[in-house]
Amino acid sequence: MQRRYLLKAMAAVGAGLSLPHANVFGQTAVSNTINVKHLFNQAIQKDDALIGLADVQQNYTEQSLKIDGKLPKDIHGYFYRNGPAKHERGEQRYQHLFEGDGMLQRFAIGEGKIKHIGKFVNTPKYAHEESAKRFMFDGPDTKLTVSSAVAHADTINTANTNIIPVGDDLWALWEGGSASVIDKASLSFKNFANLGENSQYGDKLKRLPFSAHPKIEANGDIWNFGYNAAGTIVLYHLSAQGKTKNVGLINTDFRAGMLHDFLITHKHILLILPSITKDASAHGMFTSIRFNKHQPMKVMVLDKNTLKLARQYELPPGFAFHFGNAWEEADGSIYFDASLYSDVKILHEMSHIMQGKHIAKPATSNTCLYHLKANGSVDYQRLKENSEFPRVSNYLTGLKNRYLYHVGNTHDGLWSDSIYRVDWHNDTVESYDYGKEYIVEEHIPIAQDNNENNGYLIGTALHVPSKRTCLNIFNVAKLSDGPITRAWLPYHLPLGFHGNYSAA
Amino acid sequence: MKIQLTRAFNTIFDNKVAQQPLSAAFLTIAVFASTASQAQDLQVEIAGISSNEGKIYIQLFKGEDNFKNGVAAAASIVDAKEGQVSVNFNSLSAGEYAVRYFHDEDNDGQFDTNFLGIPTEGYGFSNNAKANFGPPNYSDIKFSVSDENTKIVNRSTVNY
Ligand SMILES: [Fe+2]
Repeated sequence: MQRRYLLKAMAAVGAGLSLPHANVFGQTAVSNTINVKHLFNQAIQKDDALIGLADVQQNYTEQSLKIDGKLPKDIHGYFYRNGPAKHERGEQRYQHLFEGDGMLQRFAIGEGKIKHIGKFVNTPKYAHEESAKRFMFDGPDTKLTVSSAVAHADTINTANTNIIPVGDDLWALWEGGSASVIDKASLSFKNFANLGENSQYGDKLKRLPFSAHPKIEANGDIWNFGYNAAGTIVLYHLSAQGKTKNVGLINTDFRAGMLHDFLITHKHILLILPSITKDASAHGMFTSIRFNKHQPMKVMVLDKNTLKLARQYELPPGFAFHFGNAWEEADGSIYFDASLYSDVKILHEMSHIMQGKHIAKPATSNTCLYHLKANGSVDYQRLKENSEFPRVSNYLTGLKNRYLYHVGNTHDGLWSDSIYRVDWHNDTVESYDYGKEYIVEEHIPIAQDNNENNGYLIGTALHVPSKRTCLNIFNVAKLSDGPITRAWLPYHLPLGFHGNYSAA
Repeated sequence: MKIQLTRAFNTIFDNKVAQQPLSAAFLTIAVFASTASQAQDLQVEIAGISSNEGKIYIQLFKGEDNFKNGVAAAASIVDAKEGQVSVNFNSLSAGEYAVRYFHDEDNDGQFDTNFLGIPTEGYGFSNNAKANFGPPNYSDIKFSVSDENTKIVNRSTVNY
């Protein structure tokens, strides 16, 4: 049997929870009768590629990486990543990849060295369960035999999806509840952000959902949304320091239970609602999400000043976790890209793989560039390359980008093995194939001097045969030449979702 | 049965009683204690209180309809105390009862919620019935008071 590396599905990772979700009152929790941990242990014996989904037992202390190649002198800063790592306690293993507690990875780069540390986000949930030495709360999918009360979503906030620098702190992000404020020096959890504090909003923003995919404009302003499965979407406009400037509420009929990412242009917010619904008869938040091939994807275009709906578009049915960027042309039309799936199978595969199940024919996604025209019509082009974790240079967020970076799969397997750069100007795609022994995680561009033609692409990959994680730096102008720097940890890290670079 | 989260939270306290300024509502209903000759005393013990700030608002309901309609048989407001407080309801007639409470941490007389109706202050129920993104079922909160002259103690912990 051919061994598969790099789940495309894994590329989709980073999708999390839209809690609080429509909840079932008076329904008896389904106990986890199958021993998922046992099944996963059996599977990992036969397939080393699963090591990135194994439980992590402790923090990683500071470790210098062994550098192959040359470390560019003009990279001096921190590369942060986040992802689920506490998948098991005792005999209990979570059933879905999105359920595990978040662990932060920090690579400090500069002066010819790269140093790494990894630390669990000590959320209230993590702290409680760490001292109890067992999971105490039902997850979105995993129901425990004995579980404690969940007063609100932050009770089970795992802070496991993304990490961004905000002011003097870092924010570790989930999507069902508050942002977790993290101390930069120690990577310690400080508190949940209360976005209305010291403002007219008071506690009215406390515990609201705050997605893991905020968009930060070149001026530093932070835009985000939060999704509640009753269909309400909160819109946030924050200062670079994380202080609330404006908040809006939009009611929709989108009640699938999960909305992961969104986009902005210089004038508008784009909420892109995929063709999914909730199966009311099914248990589990992720498990109950179904694709509806008769339901168009919907784009709600909202005015950034008023946070009110300006216009709407319907797209052919589809599903996406992630979008790279959007921009507006002079004629008022809008372009945006998505890593588009034909259905929502990917979401369920990320549960299957956690339970050690073989995935025969993994779901695939491709970059799709949509053009929302001023007259209400829509055009789109779908590229053939497999695509997940799309990213553009930070300074172009909401502005026209020439290049789109993403990871994907060249070897037709389960896992991502390659990185790509789409050039919208020349309609070309350049790529670098790590090889099928690697599981490639999100890569992010670092533009030098706000010029997307110059700079670096940085990202991690798990080398399966040697069970080590490496950090890779590419010159964006010569992507297909391969990394100019590859730096090795002596061990592997858990596969994560999203990250960001912050200059020192 | 499914209840949307936001609505569910709104129904915890957002009813006829709670829509009035709570302290007033509490005072007007606190005279319902039974005068039946055979009667029992109830002690509600609330643990896990996070601070000495503010007050604990406690409501006692007789029967499911009253609970659902928010018509309390008795109520009490006590100063919050880090750790535990006990509240007594005396001379109750036999029947089915339920208790709910919240910790008014900022002492504004309101059970505060955010823009989506999610509580931003601690709350809890009799029997330590388990909240799960909203209130438990009535069946998990209810308890019986019989004709016997013994004191009942009902213990629970605040959910913050
Ligand atoms: Fe994501």
